Amino acid sequence: MKKIILTLVLGLTLASANINVDTTYSTLGAIVKKIGAEHVNVTVLGSSKYDPHFIVPKPSLLAKLRRADLLIINGGGLELGWLPPLLRGAHNSNIQNGAKGFLDISHSIAMINVPASVSRAFGDVHASGNPHYITDPHQVPIIAEVIYKKIKLLDSSNANSYETNYQSFMQEWKEYLTEFDAKMQVCKTKKVVQYHLLFNYFLNRYSIKSYGNIEPLPGVSPSSKHTIELIRMMQNEDIKVILQDVYHEKKSASFIADKTGARVATLPHDVGSLKGSDTLESFYNTIAEQICR
Amino acid sequence: MKKIIPLSMLCALSLMADATLDSIQKELETQKQKTATLESQMQALSRANTKQSASFSQNAYLPDIAFILDMSAVARDVNNTTYSNYAIPGFIDAPDTPELIFNPNRGFNLNYAELALHSSVDPYFDAFLVLHLQSNVFEIEEAYVITTSLPMGLRIKAGKFRSDFGRLNKKHHHSWHFDSQALIHEALFGPDALKDPGVQLQWVAPTDTYLMLGAEAMQGTNEASFGASESNNLYIGYLKSSIDVSEDISLLGGMSIIHGENFVNNTLNPTDLYGIDFTLREQLGAYSSLLWQNEFIQREKNLGTRVDKQAGFYSELIYTYNNNYATGLRYDAITQNDTDLSAYSGVNTDNLDRFTAMLEYKPFEMSRLRLSYTYDRSKIISGERKNINEVMLSLNISAGAHSAHDF
Repeated sequence: MKKIILTLVLGLTLASANINVDTTYSTLGAIVKKIGAEHVNVTVLGSSKYDPHFIVPKPSLLAKLRRADLLIINGGGLELGWLPPLLRGAHNSNIQNGAKGFLDISHSIAMINVPASVSRAFGDVHASGNPHYITDPHQVPIIAEVIYKKIKLLDSSNANSYETNYQSFMQEWKEYLTEFDAKMQVCKTKKVVQYHLLFNYFLNRYSIKSYGNIEPLPGVSPSSKHTIELIRMMQNEDIKVILQDVYHEKKSASFIADKTGARVATLPHDVGSLKGSDTLESFYNTIAEQICR
Repeated sequence: MKKIIPLSMLCALSLMADATLDSIQKELETQKQKTATLESQMQALSRANTKQSASFSQNAYLPDIAFILDMSAVARDVNNTTYSNYAIPGFIDAPDTPELIFNPNRGFNLNYAELALHSSVDPYFDAFLVLHLQSNVFEIEEAYVITTSLPMGLRIKAGKFRSDFGRLNKKHHHSWHFDSQALIHEALFGPDALKDPGVQLQWVAPTDTYLMLGAEAMQGTNEASFGASESNNLYIGYLKSSIDVSEDISLLGGMSIIHGENFVNNTLNPTDLYGIDFTLREQLGAYSSLLWQNEFIQREKNLGTRVDKQAGFYSELIYTYNNNYATGLRYDAITQNDTDLSAYSGVNTDNLDRFTAMLEYKPFEMSRLRLSYTYDRSKIISGERKNINEVMLSLNISAGAHSAHDF
């Protein structure tokens, strides 16, 4: 009897040699695919169509988390509003916070916009800093490295394959970045406003200054008073580009554009948010094209 | 700092009036680098300046703490004294009407202040504590631990907790879509809902489709349906499953069986309940959704001489327009009431039901104003069937630790 079970278990583990990796967002998923390739099954939990702070905690996500060997989260508080109850409800000890199969990428990122003091009177501010680091293509190698190390640790049987994939991806990305940075060098847009503080990492990287946000405070809907102030400021500073994401309402941006003659640039915030941004490269290319057009 | 760049540009321009564009750009680059160096130095300094923590401070281990306040202003066409003695025939009879805990008074109510704490205990347990405070009441609403490291999709909960049968029972008042408890839940379990000291074992199947089996053993102190006190007597089992019809449409369903013992007329007799629940949710946009939630519960209460069969359901439809506004309708009804209603002779006790409509405004995700209208046809007041009209404005806030959003 024992033997039968043993062979059964062994058979099952051999048959499903792939490791199941769940990522909370799609860009992280795309990086995992680059490194894991055919040895990992990647599941992205949060739809890139929607606000990453407000992913719908569908019960089907519990089934996905239940079988994960590795859970990779963005961190920085971005998943606070939806992931913890799912993680508790999935009953998977492998991916609990602190377990071997849990990876918080934000711990490896130099976070910006870390608030000196935190209060909800300032809106939905994240105590550990701006969590939207994914919009900066220079973060990709940092993210890839921690993911590579983690996957290699969890599945040492395919370590060689992961190393090859990782090295070639790093080379590929280095070349991509050289080209990308050159393109950004000639970007004429130097001043923008955005809806939410989504693109600060990208803007900082390429010395584009963000002068303000359409939402008065993070997570607070636009008010007419704030919108009027923003319009006045944009006129004074001669700001001609408004960065709009795919999930917030679009009326405020087009109203402000009407009053200021600025252009609304709709940007993807994650791989696949917009048509034609389904790969890592096209994701960052779309951001650059939309901002610099 | 900001001034350095334009100033230096100006200087550079005036000093080298005939300089080439190249040299200006070079100068600009150097200035930028200097700015960057200065900025990073400043950041390093501000980091170094952070207060040194006391050697034995344990502040970093404080649990997540949230406090929740719930208050309301109520207009109702029944005065407070008579309202507090209402009966739902066959379920809650006037002399034993339990203390109303939500919105009892016309005028203003402070319903409760709740303190919710959560913390990891160690690598094996998470602990939760919810204290429910009212003017004269201190109640441990829930206090339990859950395991975090059991294998094979198992999890154990132990302590005092709200049973996870059905859909609504587990949820706290502040996460309901309406300010009043669903009629069938109030009728069967009273305002305290089904919560008791006990243990719970849940298993999530390792399948593509979500499938969860749960079993609970509880003390069974709830007097409305159970109430045997000499030993633990309440056993609950349920099955829940969910499928996504499309990326944006999800179905969630469940079946529950509850078995306990009542102590009516000083004899122990079985009470059995059967529940089914069904929820459909469609995501219409990033902040917009449609939710249709239904729950039906039947009770068979054996009283030795007879078996009472009673049942009811609620159905609610919630439309969330954006992250500020939502509106909803609920219909509650008692569908079966086969019990001794002789105490109500001459009073019409058929078709006990209730309609509720609400409009919600959330300035931010931590606060909620809700305006609701209720037409209640389920109550007997002072021996007469009385249809009650009620308008309520409630305010609920949740400060501190952020609780996650509901499905």
